[in-house]
Amino acid sequence: MSTETLTDDEGGTASRGLVDRVRASPFLSQLLSNRLALAGLAIIVAMLVIAVYARLTLDLDVISRSQLGTNPNRAAPSLEYPFGTDGQARALVPRVAYGAWYAMLFGTVTVGASTVLGVGLGIIAAYYGDITDNVIMRTMDVLLAFPSLLLALALVSIFPDELGLWRAVAALTLVYTPRFARVVRGAALTVLENEYIDATVALGATDPRVLVRHVLPNCLAPITVQSTLNFGLAIIDLAALSFLGFGASAGTPSWGLMLSNGVSQGLLTGVWWWSFFPGLFLALTVLGFNLLGDGMRDALDPRMREAVD
Amino acid sequence: MFPKRFVLKRLLLLVPVLIGVATLVFSILHLSPGDPALTIAGERASQEFVERIRADLGLNDPIWVQYVDFLGNVVRFDFGESYVINRNTTVREIMANTLPVTLELALYGQLFGILFGIPLGVLSAVKQDTLTDHTTRVGALAGISVPIFWSGPLLILLFAQVLGVLPTSGRISSTFSVSPIRVTGMVTIDTLLAGEWDMFKSAVRHMLLPSLVIGVYSMALISRMMRSSMLEVVRQDYMRTARAKGQGAKITVLKHGFRNALIPVVTIIGIQFGGLLGGAVLTETVFAIGGIGTLLVEAIEVGDYPIVQGTVLTFAFLFTLVNLVVDITYSYLDPRIQQ
Repeated sequence: MSTETLTDDEGGTASRGLVDRVRASPFLSQLLSNRLALAGLAIIVAMLVIAVYARLTLDLDVISRSQLGTNPNRAAPSLEYPFGTDGQARALVPRVAYGAWYAMLFGTVTVGASTVLGVGLGIIAAYYGDITDNVIMRTMDVLLAFPSLLLALALVSIFPDELGLWRAVAALTLVYTPRFARVVRGAALTVLENEYIDATVALGATDPRVLVRHVLPNCLAPITVQSTLNFGLAIIDLAALSFLGFGASAGTPSWGLMLSNGVSQGLLTGVWWWSFFPGLFLALTVLGFNLLGDGMRDALDPRMREAVD
Repeated sequence: MFPKRFVLKRLLLLVPVLIGVATLVFSILHLSPGDPALTIAGERASQEFVERIRADLGLNDPIWVQYVDFLGNVVRFDFGESYVINRNTTVREIMANTLPVTLELALYGQLFGILFGIPLGVLSAVKQDTLTDHTTRVGALAGISVPIFWSGPLLILLFAQVLGVLPTSGRISSTFSVSPIRVTGMVTIDTLLAGEWDMFKSAVRHMLLPSLVIGVYSMALISRMMRSSMLEVVRQDYMRTARAKGQGAKITVLKHGFRNALIPVVTIIGIQFGGLLGGAVLTETVFAIGGIGTLLVEAIEVGDYPIVQGTVLTFAFLFTLVNLVVDITYSYLDPRIQQ
């Protein structure tokens, strides 16, 4: 990628075709030439397909209910039951597949909510500065002073048990928000130094307009990277909270809960498939997001671009 | 020169954060559902009894009085007595028994991470864009993607159940009826100090799998940081100067590159200490180790608020302290930071 194309990109790209646009964007072309990032994307897409398929074709009630009498109990993986069955004779294949839906759904909500909150707070802190900045960022510092999983554990206890996985989502949203606020504040401060911001203000644009139309779009790249990397973390942490007993309610097919069952009951009896399959899917999904996020970060870093040349 | 002013400034900046941390914990517990007085008294207790406990706990005082009392107690590191788990025992005493267990686990994990992470990172950087580099990088990403509550059970199943070579749970073999003299509370150190060779071996064997599981995560993070920091340093002018003066490539990398590249790695060691503490909670659960992590989980389940307060605050203080030490070390290694 030469510097000519880089500056070229700042001009209007609307009239060009998609391929040209991708080529002109140093970020996308760098990302698409990264095979590991593409592998990550492929894993994510595959998990999404499994998740949606499971949600559309499986009946949650049926796969949550005990299947004693219908299926063999604690059956090892076989042709008929590829992932085996659990202690209530439920086949693990549909449960693990449905777990993908849970991970994607709750992961998306967690990351989405903390992105919106963090981006809002970060941009406001950067734009108004002074006391606003101090109040917001010092509050974020306090939240960041806790090890994340422990803060989530403490926060989970505020919400009633009936909320199930939603209380884990609420707790983790609060835990992740400061990370976004920090990244976005930093990015927004850089954007605010540009002359076009002064020009926009001089033209009489209102504060919300400056922030939403001019500052936000120019911070999108670091926000996207942060979201992608946090997606993997969110899925692990949601499963961890379920694993510790503060997430999904009993019987629901969440990976964390299945792993908890694998440890509390499968470990001593040597029933390896209760842990193995849900954990494999969990680890793969997280790996997918980490590969993609890592590739995005490299693609954003101009120093990495130099290295490729 | 020791950066006195810098340390003082950092210490002062810490005060508001710590007050904020205490305030947050206070709010969380006051927002939590459930009546502590009822938890202590039990469901069938008489109304008067519950009222008396409530008065004893100061729950009838105005909220700001409770808040000031709480802050005063936090400063004295006094979290009261456990409600449910270990009645009539102070939280301080309970934590004195469990904290060393968790710290021991975290320290071994950290040690594992540093011992393997740094060489792997250097190797990856020196062999940039070769197969070794790619394998190490993917391995590191896989390391941070694999949850402890998956790798733990699988390792237990493999080493303990299938191969039968390592113990699955606890801290020391149950055949040792007497516990070693308590000095640090860390079983591997205490047994060694006592000169109990067999007990020491048993303790180390119990520690192997948990430290491996928890250490893989820090190893992955450290090796990633080491690699990118090393790659950056290699491009610096002083590296070129050293080479131009006729110094050999290996010596330049080790003498000028490695030492400077270590500086940012110190930071990541501090940052991931929080992850290590969170990881300890999960590792303790998987390996049935009675540390502060399992204590916290149990305390939240049964509503033992003094323990929740004590443990969460201690974890936050520890994490903050580690980061302070890291900042100071960093400024010592790289005096430009103090500006």
